Amino acid sequence: MTLEVHTAAVQVRGLSRRYGSTRALDNVDLTVERGVTGLLGPNGAGKTTLLSILATVSEPDSGEVSVFGLDPRDKDERVAIRRRLGYLPQELGYHRHFTVAAFLDYIAILKEIVDRRQRGEEVARVLAATGLDSYARKRIRALSGGMRQRLGIAQALLGRPDLLILDEPTAGLDPEQRLRFRELVSNLPGDPVIMLSTHQADDVAAICPNVIVLLQGQVRFVGTPAELADTATGHVWAASVRYTGAHLSWRGPDNLWRHIGECPPAGAQIVAPTVEDGYLLLSQRVAAP
Amino acid sequence: MTSAYSGQPGPATTPGAHAGASMLADYAAGTADTVTAWSVESHLAACGGCRQRLSTYAEPERLARNRSVLLVRAALPDGRASRVLRRRGVPDHLLRLLAATPSLRRSWLLAVIGVLAVVTVETVLAEQAGPGGPPGPRGLMPFLLVAPLLILASVAVAFMPAFDPAHRLAVAAPFSGLTLLLARAVSALIAALIPVICAAFVVPGPPWLPAALLLPSLALCATALAAATVVGPVAAALGSGILWVLPVVALAVTHLPLEVVQWHAQYACAVALLVASLVLFLRHHRFELGWNR
Repeated sequence: MTLEVHTAAVQVRGLSRRYGSTRALDNVDLTVERGVTGLLGPNGAGKTTLLSILATVSEPDSGEVSVFGLDPRDKDERVAIRRRLGYLPQELGYHRHFTVAAFLDYIAILKEIVDRRQRGEEVARVLAATGLDSYARKRIRALSGGMRQRLGIAQALLGRPDLLILDEPTAGLDPEQRLRFRELVSNLPGDPVIMLSTHQADDVAAICPNVIVLLQGQVRFVGTPAELADTATGHVWAASVRYTGAHLSWRGPDNLWRHIGECPPAGAQIVAPTVEDGYLLLSQRVAAP
Repeated sequence: MTSAYSGQPGPATTPGAHAGASMLADYAAGTADTVTAWSVESHLAACGGCRQRLSTYAEPERLARNRSVLLVRAALPDGRASRVLRRRGVPDHLLRLLAATPSLRRSWLLAVIGVLAVVTVETVLAEQAGPGGPPGPRGLMPFLLVAPLLILASVAVAFMPAFDPAHRLAVAAPFSGLTLLLARAVSALIAALIPVICAAFVVPGPPWLPAALLLPSLALCATALAAATVVGPVAAALGSGILWVLPVVALAVTHLPLEVVQWHAQYACAVALLVASLVLFLRHHRFELGWNR
């Protein structure tokens, strides 16, 4: 009889990272399996730091990281991780004088796709996948912000990576492009591990079977979007007047005030929470314990 | 290989014969050898029937893929310089990598040539000013100061992350950081050395001056690269620059500016080059990590 040892795609233990006096990551433990995992958190929560460490671009101060069972501290294993990685950083720099095709060709070479024909096929594939095929000749400096973001996603897809790390991939995309992005991510072949960070709870609800909430450098929630929404059950209510004791309240299109708080007043009309409600309630609890 | 035309072995141009089925299939799949492919092509140019039959062997998916690849190829800039270098055997992918090197861009090279031209003209005019102007060797000081610094600046610009907007992508990619760095640094070094050496022939110095500038320039760049494995790229470039400025200025004050490229200095530069190469060899893994700790 043989025992199969299951190794998670990404494992993180006791990860910490400081920038001066700011603690970006504080003893983070994490396990990520295949499929799409959404990383939710406000600005400064440590999402970008965590993703850049997983992408082998930054080093932690302490803690352990394992990607497909490989240790990024080891030089050869780090290169092996990079061979299976597609990375979209939050601030993606472009050689502005490059055309779209030339930029992708350049990144393809950095991904060790050296053969000219194979490179051409791969660039053509990601251009088609991201709907940029008619922009191949355009200079990057002439592209809109949304187009550049698509180009960033296209370069991450080069080489059919097993691990796709996308830092704020939907930032700057218009609603239609966001829907196309969701379609693209959902239809990627080969069941890759996809980690994407976002502020958009509806993106997470739409495409991520798993969600991690990172607040103040610590993991505060791991589960499914439905489970995140459930954490706010009984804490979201609607009323015709604003209730000042709530954490957050805003007037909806039905002219009713929607409240998120710990104690709904007696007789309040409790409503079904969304993923966003669960995330907001959690953020408020952490910010003001 | 199958027959070129039905019933005949090898490529042939027999009038009236047609391309065989397997020949057309090989041609459509792109697996026919060159002679056969030419033979088929010359026949296809004149035979509508075979052109018709060829279309039945062509896979639509492959044709679409080929079309996309051709469109991508057409969208890639292919300047005269890269065509010439490719014909000389420089790998295509290396040329693409170098295209992203800022110090190989026309604007940077023009700036280097411009600064050199100003310094060279100023040195020549100072020499012609005669007894009223600066004494001969001392007039060389600006050139001796600026020329190696321009080479150092070109190399520094080639490896500094601040000048590579896609630096984070390069770090996260498996391509060797050291290979990329060396390719860029060496090409930037050569590109800057050429105008510097040309200018050294023009300035009123000793005839050995062009050759004497080589070793100090190399040592300076290697020191900057080696130091970058310890202190970071900006500090490394600035530190190396200061290491050159201090002796040049000190010797100019004592009316001996040429000493900085004469024998003792050449020995010192050779030692510096060796030490820097050793440090680079021992700490090259630093470039594989990128600059973000």
